[in-house]
Amino acid sequence: MVTAMAAAAAALWIAPYAWMVLTSLKTLPEIVQRPTALLPEHFDVGAYREVVESIPVARYMATTIAMAVLIATLQIALALPAGYALAKLRFVGKKTAFGLVLACLLVPAQVTFVPVFLMLAKVGLVNTMAALVLPFAVSALGIFLVRQALVSVPDEIIEAARLDGASEATIIYRILAPHLMPTLVSLFLVSFVFHYNDYFWPLVMTTDDTVRTLPLGVALLREQGTGVRWHIVMAANVILSVPVLALFALAQKQLVRAVGGR
Amino acid sequence: MKPRARWHPWAMLGPSLALLVVFFVVPVVLAAYQSLFAWDMLTPPEAVGADNYRALMARGELWRIVGRTLGFSAMVVVGAMSLGLALAILLNRRGRFFAFVRGAVFSAYVVSWVAVALLWTWMLDPDGGIVAALFRGVGLPRVGFLTDTRFVLPALAAVTVWKITGYAMIVFLSGLQSVPPQLLEAAALDGAGPFARFRYVTWPLLRPTAAFVATTSLIVSFQAFDVVRIMTQGGPANATTLFVYAIYEQVFLNLSVGKASALTVVFFVVLFALATAQLRAWRARGSGAS
Amino acid sequence: MLRRDLLRALAASIATSAALPACRRTRRTNGRTLVTLWFAYGGKNREVLLDLVRRFNASQSRVTVEATYQGDYFEALAKLRTAIAADAAPTFSHVVGEVVPYLARANVLEPLDAYDGARALPLVRALAQSGSYVGGAEQPLVAIPFNRSTPIMYLNGDVVARELGGKIPQTWTELESAAVQLTRRDGDVRWGFEVPISWWFWVAMVGQAGGRVVADDGTPTLGGAAGEKALRFWQKLVHEARVMRPPPGRDYNAWQATNQDFLAGRAAIVWTSTAFLRYLEENARFPVVAAPLPGDVKRSVPTGGTFFVVLRAAPSEEKQGAWEFLRWMCDADQTIDWATRTGYLPVSEPAIAKLDGNGWYAAHPNDRVAYAQLADADPWPWAPTLFRIQRDVIEPKLEEAILRNRDPHAVLDEARAEALAR
Repeated sequence: MVTAMAAAAAALWIAPYAWMVLTSLKTLPEIVQRPTALLPEHFDVGAYREVVESIPVARYMATTIAMAVLIATLQIALALPAGYALAKLRFVGKKTAFGLVLACLLVPAQVTFVPVFLMLAKVGLVNTMAALVLPFAVSALGIFLVRQALVSVPDEIIEAARLDGASEATIIYRILAPHLMPTLVSLFLVSFVFHYNDYFWPLVMTTDDTVRTLPLGVALLREQGTGVRWHIVMAANVILSVPVLALFALAQKQLVRAVGGR
Repeated sequence: MKPRARWHPWAMLGPSLALLVVFFVVPVVLAAYQSLFAWDMLTPPEAVGADNYRALMARGELWRIVGRTLGFSAMVVVGAMSLGLALAILLNRRGRFFAFVRGAVFSAYVVSWVAVALLWTWMLDPDGGIVAALFRGVGLPRVGFLTDTRFVLPALAAVTVWKITGYAMIVFLSGLQSVPPQLLEAAALDGAGPFARFRYVTWPLLRPTAAFVATTSLIVSFQAFDVVRIMTQGGPANATTLFVYAIYEQVFLNLSVGKASALTVVFFVVLFALATAQLRAWRARGSGAS
Repeated sequence: MLRRDLLRALAASIATSAALPACRRTRRTNGRTLVTLWFAYGGKNREVLLDLVRRFNASQSRVTVEATYQGDYFEALAKLRTAIAADAAPTFSHVVGEVVPYLARANVLEPLDAYDGARALPLVRALAQSGSYVGGAEQPLVAIPFNRSTPIMYLNGDVVARELGGKIPQTWTELESAAVQLTRRDGDVRWGFEVPISWWFWVAMVGQAGGRVVADDGTPTLGGAAGEKALRFWQKLVHEARVMRPPPGRDYNAWQATNQDFLAGRAAIVWTSTAFLRYLEENARFPVVAAPLPGDVKRSVPTGGTFFVVLRAAPSEEKQGAWEFLRWMCDADQTIDWATRTGYLPVSEPAIAKLDGNGWYAAHPNDRVAYAQLADADPWPWAPTLFRIQRDVIEPKLEEAILRNRDPHAVLDEARAEALAR
């Protein structure tokens, strides 16, 4: 009974991914004439060849992975001390600082892009990796989550470490961080996926191939003017999804194994 | 705890706050300022005072946008939480099969919207789609899920729920696995059935996790953009023009930065109020874990 | 009072900084002038464009054109405006026709009349600025046609031959009866007619019913009685006769859905763009028949697609380089290359003559039909606010009328009021 339901769930959720892969192995006339046919007539990898020939996949992918890793890492590196300060230390202005963090949770990129673009253009940073990474180096969500997680960690650990002469940096990064593994791993995963798949920000911040990301490259393969070549678009999306799925496979073990409080 | 040095908290928060101010606060404040102008970025801005807000409210469009977004958000939050929890409970078992199923559910979260939109547009096709076939099977009338203004928003909500459930499931799984098994065993020995065990043992411990999922789902659904951009482009007849998409439309399609800024200000205020209210509600009912 | 003065002062300072001409230096590479082109195509069009750019760069040694993709039409336009505001604009780009008057009035486009050979470009009048806009020839020349198209009717050749005896509908009434005849409701559902519920096709029908969307003085009349007649026709087909299927989505998504349905045999007759001709012919398993849109009181089609525009803010050497590229693109050989490989209409008269001469049109009758329909092309008004009311006001109202079956008179009255309020 449980197995049946689980299998049904798997089928329902994996359907688009499977369909994406199957479509990428068909030819265009097949796809448009019989869109509901499940399997391809022959397994044709022509679409993949076209993708690789049309856009510099390796380069875009390297840029995208680098950008997403940088962002996720910076976010964690900055969220840990900030969350620690907000959770554990007493100081004037703490409430305001926390309020500021909360307020920033709610601001999406579509809102900020015009002023940020103008700002970055003034300092000549448009079309650079900095423009892609800096605006997201801080994750208000990350700070919030780290703070929540740290609040339930007993103060004694910190006091003991202080007595041992550990510096605050050691306490934050070496002693407390391991306690927060599930939080940090989920944060990394969510952040990586979001920024890796992000189309909007790299679109508005890059004007040529220097630091273009793969989602943009994939969008490049669509056309509004003369009819979509679905097999190529799907092949590109399959290629796009590989790093993320790989990351998830890795993270799943971490997430599921680690026993942690939230 | 007392900081070891007065400057410590500021050193720890400094870089984060600085970046947040530059990349979030300043743009929002600028938006508030720009909302008082009509500007298309090509010609000098023209001061119009509260005209942008008035124009938005005059035809009731602003309230409709707020209403739609709230409705959409409510559906997504409730849907993602229930489905995420249900799946987490169902799939919280050992073995490669279940690991595979978990991966399958999560794959929807990471697959691109283009593929999702395509598949769902076909599945929701009123003539040839699977859902239509089901409807016919139980005698329901033909429904244009993506062309009928009454059904399109729930349809988008359903697709969004389906996509983000994987994430909710993963988070709930973490929460479920931090429930000490001894408590559950003790409850079982006391004669509690599975439902009672869940209600009295698991759920109270899961509350902070649920609050977290609810808050992040609220924020994510309120900021929903890609699903609209790819599936319905705000239509039909603006039935799916959600807040962020409305802002995007004003900037990209109508070239009105002033109106977009006015929408931004309202969006920000509403979401802030909502998020605070929700957090407070959960904290009041919760066991003080936050 | 004081606050208002303050606001005005601030606005003025922003204005001054926005209006300062860019003192950008000419970019050079390898001793050649570097000219940047921002374009908005993906897929096949992009490949053809990049190929042409390569050939231009190789054919001379003064100018290098660097073409980069910037998203779709709307995204590219938004980026263009942001870049202009930030003094980081490219040399030239291309924009949809409806936006050209707006950009011209904002004074960001370079007038091209004085450039070498501008007056003498042998462009197809209906596709060039002079013929595409009412009074277009009197405005400074700011737009050179690039990918131009019109709506057109495609029919499933097999179905028409079998069930209509090969008779192609020429009027609205004939279209309606053809659609009724071709609709199958049981088993393999097939719709007689499908068209995206979109501004472009509605404008075509308004013209066919004898109306005009914008009056000469610029007021949006939205076609008056003709506008309502057009809406009623669609409503009848969708809700009463139930032979027309409105596709889901907007803009290019709706267009793709229409193409899909046509190719899969689920719609027998569709209206869409001439730009899809190649795609449909190559991917259909039945013969595709192109026909001009049926007429009512008369025949009429609007034009669509984009024009090249050069940005005023660029340094003059770069603008000169861009002009050389544009002139090269309008030569017969390049026009033919672009048009035949992508399916857009050829924009220069010598190109048409060549294609006729070497038998290409004889071998591609559908393309001939597309070109012949230009005789009925109606110009757009040179109205800076046109594109705004099109998207913000008209499009949602059309959807309301058709999808929610509201009274056309009421809907258009509301739309007119909204359009005037802008």
